[in-house]
Amino acid sequence: MSARLFSLCFLILFTLSGLLAGCGASSQQAAPAPAAAPSGESAPAAEPAKEQARTVKHEMGETEITGTPERIVVLDFSFADALATLGVQPVGLADDNDPNLIVPEVKEKIGTYTSVGSRYEPNIELLSSLNPDLIIADLNKHKAVYDKLKQIAPTIVLNDHQADYGQMLKNYTVIAEAVNKADAGKKRLEEHNAKLAEVKAKLPQGDAQLKVLPAVVNPTGFFAHSNASYAGSLLEYLGMLDAAKSQEAYPKTNLEQLVALNPDVLFLMKTEDKTIVDEWKNNPLWNQIKAVKDGKVFEVSRNKWALSRGLIGSELSAQEAVALLTGK
Amino acid sequence: MGRTTKAAILSVCGIVLLILGLVGSIAVGWTDMGAVDAVTALIDSSASQQHLIVSTLRLPRALLAAIIGAGLAVAGAIMQAMTGNPLASPQTFGVNAGASLAVVAAIVLLPELPVPYYALMAFAGAVLGGLAVFAMGSAGGMTPVKLALAGTAVHLFLSSLTEAFILFHQHSTDQVLFWLAGSLDGADWSDIRRVLPWAAAGLLLSFLMARSISIMKMGEDVARNLGQHVARVRAMCGLLVIVLAGSGVAVAGPIGFVGLMVPHLVRYAVGSQTRLYLPLTALAGALLLVLADILSRFIAYPYESPVGIVTALLGAPFFLYLVSKERRAA
Repeated sequence: MSARLFSLCFLILFTLSGLLAGCGASSQQAAPAPAAAPSGESAPAAEPAKEQARTVKHEMGETEITGTPERIVVLDFSFADALATLGVQPVGLADDNDPNLIVPEVKEKIGTYTSVGSRYEPNIELLSSLNPDLIIADLNKHKAVYDKLKQIAPTIVLNDHQADYGQMLKNYTVIAEAVNKADAGKKRLEEHNAKLAEVKAKLPQGDAQLKVLPAVVNPTGFFAHSNASYAGSLLEYLGMLDAAKSQEAYPKTNLEQLVALNPDVLFLMKTEDKTIVDEWKNNPLWNQIKAVKDGKVFEVSRNKWALSRGLIGSELSAQEAVALLTGK
Repeated sequence: MGRTTKAAILSVCGIVLLILGLVGSIAVGWTDMGAVDAVTALIDSSASQQHLIVSTLRLPRALLAAIIGAGLAVAGAIMQAMTGNPLASPQTFGVNAGASLAVVAAIVLLPELPVPYYALMAFAGAVLGGLAVFAMGSAGGMTPVKLALAGTAVHLFLSSLTEAFILFHQHSTDQVLFWLAGSLDGADWSDIRRVLPWAAAGLLLSFLMARSISIMKMGEDVARNLGQHVARVRAMCGLLVIVLAGSGVAVAGPIGFVGLMVPHLVRYAVGSQTRLYLPLTALAGALLLVLADILSRFIAYPYESPVGIVTALLGAPFFLYLVSKERRAA
C-alpha cells in the first residue's frame, strides 16, 4: 500500500514538474505585435505595381522572391541583427521565448514582434498564422522543416549556426538581397568595415598580437570558442590570435589544456552566475595562466559576443574588446 | 585448477593492470610527459606546473574513473542477480534517468544554485528514480519481471521529461548535453571526496552480502528455502544499487554500459559462484573505466570527449551480442 502511495506521489510530482517546464516556456511568450499586423497587411495592397521577381541563391537551392517582403519571419537572432541594420522589422522571430537574449541595440530597432518559440523547434503553426511573405532559416537547425517552411512562404536557408565571421558577412549580403535592400546592404557593409578597421587600428598587430581565448562557461564545463567559431574568427579578423586552434567551433576544454593554451587574455561568456571557473580558481594552476597573472580575465555578454552574430553584434563586441584591452 | 585459485590469480593480474592503467592515465594528456615523468612529477614536492597538473587534475581523474567504474560494475552485478535479467544494469533501474532529470531541472529552474549542489541534486534524483522503480516493482509482491518493466517505464518517463526541459530551455541547457553523455574530464579532489564515502560503503557492504546476492540469483523459491529473508535482501540490494550508481552519476553523469558488460565478462572468466566474484567485478569495472577514460582523450584530441561515448561504443555491440545469445538459449 505504501509502495503504491509512493508511486502515486511520484507520478503526481513529476507530472507537475513537467507542466512547470511547459509553463515556464509559454509564460515567457513575447507580447504579440498587434500594431505590426494591420500595417503589414495593408502595405502590399497599397502598391499594386508588382516589382520584378529575383532569384536568391542560398544553402538549400534558389528561391524566387518578388518585390519587397513586408512580413518577414526570422528563425535566429543573427537574422534579426541583419534586418535591424537594414531598417526592416520582422513580424516574427524565434527567440527561445526570451526577448532578453536579443542585445538591446538590436531589440530597440526591430520593435514589437511575435515570438514563434524555440529556435530549435519553432512553432510552425504560429509561424504560418503570421502570413509571412519571407522566412529566413538556419541550415543546421531548420533543414528538416525546410519543405514545410517553403510551403508557407518563400524561404531562404543560411548557414548561420556553424558560421564564422566571414560566413556571417556573406549571409548578410544574401539577406539584404532577399529583402530587396541590396544597395543599402552594400553601403552598411562599407560602414561596418570602416568601423572594424578603426577598432583594428587600436590593437597591437604583427609580432605584438595578443593571444586571446573567448569561451562560454557554464556550471559543468568550459567551452573554448576556437578560431573556427564566430567569436574566435572575429577576434582574429581584428588582428588577435585565437589560442584554441580547432576544426571544431566550441571544443570542451579542461584546466590542464587551458594552462597549456596559456592565453594572454580571456573573454568569458557566463551562462550562469556560478560556473566551473569558480572551482578552478581554487587550483593553483589557475594562477599560472598568463591572462590571470596579468589581470586580463574579462567577463563579456554571451548574447552580444556569440548569439547576435551580425553586423551590430560584431561591432559591439569589437568595440567592447578594444575598450577592455586598452582600458578605455 | 579450481575456480578460487583462478579467481585469485586473476585478482592479482587485475590489480597489476589497474596500477598500470592508473599510471597510463596520469601520463596521457595535453602537457607532454611520459609515464616516468608523470610519476616523478607526482612525487616531486616542489609546486612545478607538471606536479600541479598531475596531482590536482590527472590523479583525481584517474582515481575517480576507478571508483566510479567499480561502483557501476558492482551495481550492475547486483541488478542482474536481483532481477534474474542478464540485460539489467543501473540504467534500467531509473537511477541514471532520475539523476539526469534532477541536474537538468536544477540548471533550468534553479540557475543560482552553486556548482557543488549539482552533485547533490543528481544524487537526490538517482534516489528518487531508484525508489520509484523499487516501489512500482514491488507493489503487490516484487517479481523480477515487474521490476524490469517498472525500470524501463520509469526510465523512459524520466528521460522524456529531461528531453522536454532541454527542448524548452535550449539556450541554457545546450551544453548540458556533454554531461548527459557521462564525462570525467573535470574531475578534481572535491569530486573524490564527494563520491568516495558512498562508493566505499556500498562496495564493502556488497562484498559482505555476496552470499545472499548470489543466492538471490537462483530464484525466489530457492532463496526462501535456503532460509533467506527475500524481501529484506531485495530492499538492501536496491539500496546498494542506488548508492553505488547514484554517487557515480552524481559526479560524472550517466556513464552507460559499464554495469551491463563487466559482470558478464567476469562471469565468463570465473563464474559467479566464487567469493571473489564481486571484488573481481569491482576490479574489472575500475580497469574498464580507467582505460575508456584514456581512450576518450584521443577521440577529439587534444580536446575532451565524454567517456560515455567510449563505453557506449564498446557496450552497444556487447549488448546486441547478449540479446542474440539469449534468443538462441530460449
